[in-house]
Amino acid sequence: MKIILPIAAALLLSTAAGAQTPAKEGTIAARTTNGVANWTTYNADLKGSRYSPLDQINASNFKDLEIAWRFKTDILGSRPEYKLESTPLAVDGVIYTTGGTRRAVVALNGATGELLWQFALHEGKRSAESPRALSGRGLSYWTDGTRRRILYVTIGYRLVSLDADTGRPDPEFGTNGVVDLKTDFDQDMGDLDTGEVGVHSAPAVSGNSIIIGAAFREGFTPKTHNNTKGYVRAFDVRTGKRMWTFHTVPKPGEFGYDTWLNKSADINGNTGVWTQVSVDEELGLAYLAVESPTSDFFGGKRPGNNLFGNSLVAVDLKTGERRWHFQLIHHEIWDLDNSSAPLLMDVTVDGKPRKVVGLPSKQGFFYVFDRATGQPVWPIKETKVAKGNVPGEWYSPTQPMPSKPPVYARNGVEDKDLIDFTPDLKKKALELTSKYVLGPVYTPPIVSTPEKFGVINNWAQGGTNWPGGSFDPESGIAYVYACGACISSTGLLPPPAGLSDIPLVVGVAGQPVTMIKGPGEGAGADSPAPAAAPGAGNAGPPRLAVDGLPLVKPPYGTISAIDVNNGTIKWQVAHGETPDFVRNHPIIKAMGGIPRTGQSTYQIGTLVTKSVVIAGENQFTRTEDRPRGAMLRAYDKQTGAEVGAVYMPSTQSGSPMTYMVGGKQYIIVPTSGGNASGEFLAYALPNKK
Amino acid sequence: MKIALPILFAALGLAGAALAQSAGKSVWQGIYTTEQADRGAGVYAQRCGACHGAALNGTGEAPPLIGGEFVSHWDTMTVGDLYDRVRTTMPQNDPMSMTRDEYADVLAFLLKTNGFPAGVQPLDKRSEVLATIGITAEKPADR
Repeated sequence: MKIILPIAAALLLSTAAGAQTPAKEGTIAARTTNGVANWTTYNADLKGSRYSPLDQINASNFKDLEIAWRFKTDILGSRPEYKLESTPLAVDGVIYTTGGTRRAVVALNGATGELLWQFALHEGKRSAESPRALSGRGLSYWTDGTRRRILYVTIGYRLVSLDADTGRPDPEFGTNGVVDLKTDFDQDMGDLDTGEVGVHSAPAVSGNSIIIGAAFREGFTPKTHNNTKGYVRAFDVRTGKRMWTFHTVPKPGEFGYDTWLNKSADINGNTGVWTQVSVDEELGLAYLAVESPTSDFFGGKRPGNNLFGNSLVAVDLKTGERRWHFQLIHHEIWDLDNSSAPLLMDVTVDGKPRKVVGLPSKQGFFYVFDRATGQPVWPIKETKVAKGNVPGEWYSPTQPMPSKPPVYARNGVEDKDLIDFTPDLKKKALELTSKYVLGPVYTPPIVSTPEKFGVINNWAQGGTNWPGGSFDPESGIAYVYACGACISSTGLLPPPAGLSDIPLVVGVAGQPVTMIKGPGEGAGADSPAPAAAPGAGNAGPPRLAVDGLPLVKPPYGTISAIDVNNGTIKWQVAHGETPDFVRNHPIIKAMGGIPRTGQSTYQIGTLVTKSVVIAGENQFTRTEDRPRGAMLRAYDKQTGAEVGAVYMPSTQSGSPMTYMVGGKQYIIVPTSGGNASGEFLAYALPNKK
Repeated sequence: MKIALPILFAALGLAGAALAQSAGKSVWQGIYTTEQADRGAGVYAQRCGACHGAALNGTGEAPPLIGGEFVSHWDTMTVGDLYDRVRTTMPQNDPMSMTRDEYADVLAFLLKTNGFPAGVQPLDKRSEVLATIGITAEKPADR
C-alpha cells in the first residue's frame, strides 16, 4: 500500500499528461538524426571515458562560446537545489537528466532547452529518510531498436523504467514500471521507509542488464557497525527481475569471508559501490569499485583485511560471479574509499597492446591492472605502514603502493606541505600544526586529545572524488582532476549514549560529539527538521588556516594527464583561478602575486574531446576583467596549455558533457553553489560570427 | 520596440546595482549590533551548528561559514542575497521555519565571526533593505 500510493499518484499525473499527449508530440518533434552526435551514458560510454570525438568546438574558437540555452531546476522539488551533480544524456536531439530536490526526470529539446516532459515519484517518509537525497548524478538510456527506456533510481531507492518518448512508467517493468530495490536484497531491510540505503550514481546498463550499487549515510558517525551491506545487483532491463547479486561483504562459506576475523563479516555493513560501474562488453565483465566497510575511521569491530572493502572487483556480466579482485587498501580506516569509475583503456605497454583498467583514487594513486586477469601492469608493492595506537583498532602492517604512475595528488600532509610564501607564514603553520599529527599517506587516525586534536589529512574530500577521471581512447592518456588542499583534521572520540554502538567515532576533544551528515542526507524535498546541536557555538580548535591563507601549499586543485602507455605524468596544471581571498591577500599582493593556484574542491569532472580537455571551476571568483562568476576552461590535450576560457555566471557542480544536434555542437555544464541554485548551462558557438 | 524593452530593463537593473554601491552602504560600516550577534549565536547553536559545526568550520557536506572562502564566495553580492539564501533554504531540512528577526540575528552572528565591525543600528529584517548593503571581501581603504 505504501508503495502503491505514490505510484498511483505518478500514474495519475502521467495519465493527465497523456490525455493531451504534448510530451510525446514534443519529444517526437525534437527527435532527429540530422547532424546528431549522442552521449548515451553517464560517462559517455560504459568504459568511463567521458570522451567525445566532436571537434567543432576546439582550441581556436573555445573563447567564442556563448550560452545557447539554460534550464533551471528549481521547480523540480519542494525547494531549490544548490548541489546539482547530474550529467545529462543526449539521444537524437533530446536531453534526459535528473534534477531538483525531488530528483525528477526531465526530457528537454537539445537545441532549445525546452521542457518536453517531467516525471517524479513522491515518496514521502521514504525519501525524507534517505541517506542520499537531491538530484543524484544522472540516469541511463536503453533501447533494443524499438523500445526506448530511461532508467533511474529514486531518492527512496526504487528503480524506475520510463518510456523515453512520454515519460510514463513502463508497465512491463517491475510493478507498474518500478522495482523496489529495498526488497530482494539478500538481507532484511526492516522497515522499508527507514532501512538505510540509497544511491546517487546512474545505473550501468549493458545488454539486458542493469547494474545497481548502494550508498549509505556518511561514515564519520554511523549509528551502528552492523549497517546495511552494500551488495551489488543486476536486473533484467525488460522485466526488472533480479538476475544476480554480488556480496561485497561475503556470506559464510563464500570467498573472502575469512578476511573478516571473528566472523565479523556477519556484523558489519556498508562496503557498497556508490560510484559508477564500468563494463567491458567484449570480455563480459563489470568492474566494481567497492567502498570501505563500516565505519570510515574506526575498524575495531571488523578485524582483518575485510574483502571486498576498498577492492576493485571484476564480475561476470551475466552471472555476477567474481573473476578477479585486487584490494587497494587493507582494513581501510581513512575514508579513502573507492570513488571513481574504473577507466577501461586500450594502451600499448612495452610494445604490446594491453587491455587495462585504470582507477583514480582519493589517495592520489592511479592503479593500473590488466583488466582480463587483474594482474598489475606495473608492480604494486606491499609496503610497511605506520601502526596506530587507537584502543581496539586492528591494523594492517602493509598497504599496496603502486610503483607507476607516480602519485598525482597530495596524499599526505607533512611539514614540507605547509604554506611557505614567507618564513613567517611557515613558522605560524608549524606552530598551528603542533596541535595536530602530520604524516604521509596511510598515517593512522588518533584519539582526539587537547594536545593533539587529530591527524591533518587530505582524505575524505581529497584527490579524486565522485566525478572520477576521463580518458582519450585513441592516445591512452587519462585526464584526472584532483584536490590537493581539501584538508581536514580527523580525530576519534567515544560517542555519547544513544548515538552509535561503535566505540569511537569522529570528534574533537573539548567539543560535543554529534552526528555528521552526508551528501544530501536529510536535504531532500520531504525531509523534516534537524535536532539542535548541544553546546554548539563554543570556541573550537583553531581553523586550518594561517593569517587567513590555506594551511597547505598550492596547487589546491590540479588536472593531470597520465600516460597509461608508460605510467608517467605527461603534464599537470593547476585548475581554477586563484581564490579571491588568496589573490587579494596583502601578503600575496606584497609578493607581487603568485602563479595560479587552482581551487580546493572535489566537485570537478573533466570532459575530453578530439583536441581539448574541458572543465569548469567550482568556486566563485572576481577578476578585473569580469564580474563574480567562474570560468569554463579548455586545455590542449598534449601540453596542458590553456587554449580558451569562457565565463559562467555560476560554478560547475557536476561533470560536463557534449553532443551535437542539427550539426551544432553543445557543451552542457551542470552548475550550482552559493546563492545560485541548480541550472544546466548549454554552450555553443555563435550562429554568425 | 522589440529591442528597446530589454535594453530598458537592463539599464534599470544596472542603475539599481550602481545605486546600491554609490549609496556606499557596506558590511564594513557597522551594520549590526553586538547584542544582535550574541542572540544570533544562540540561534546558530540551536539551528545551524549541527551541520555547519560549533566553530562554523563546516562538517561533512555543510560548508564552512567562516574565513576567506566564505567571504569571497559572497563578494559583490548584497546582505539581502545572503539573507534570502539562508532564509529560504536553511535549516536545510526545514527552510523558513524561523522568524525574520531570528534570521537577521544569525546573519549578524555570521558577520561578526567573519570580522565585519558591529555598529549601533541592528541589521534590518527586510530583504529589500538588506539588498542595499554590499558585501565586499576586501576592506575598503579609509577615506
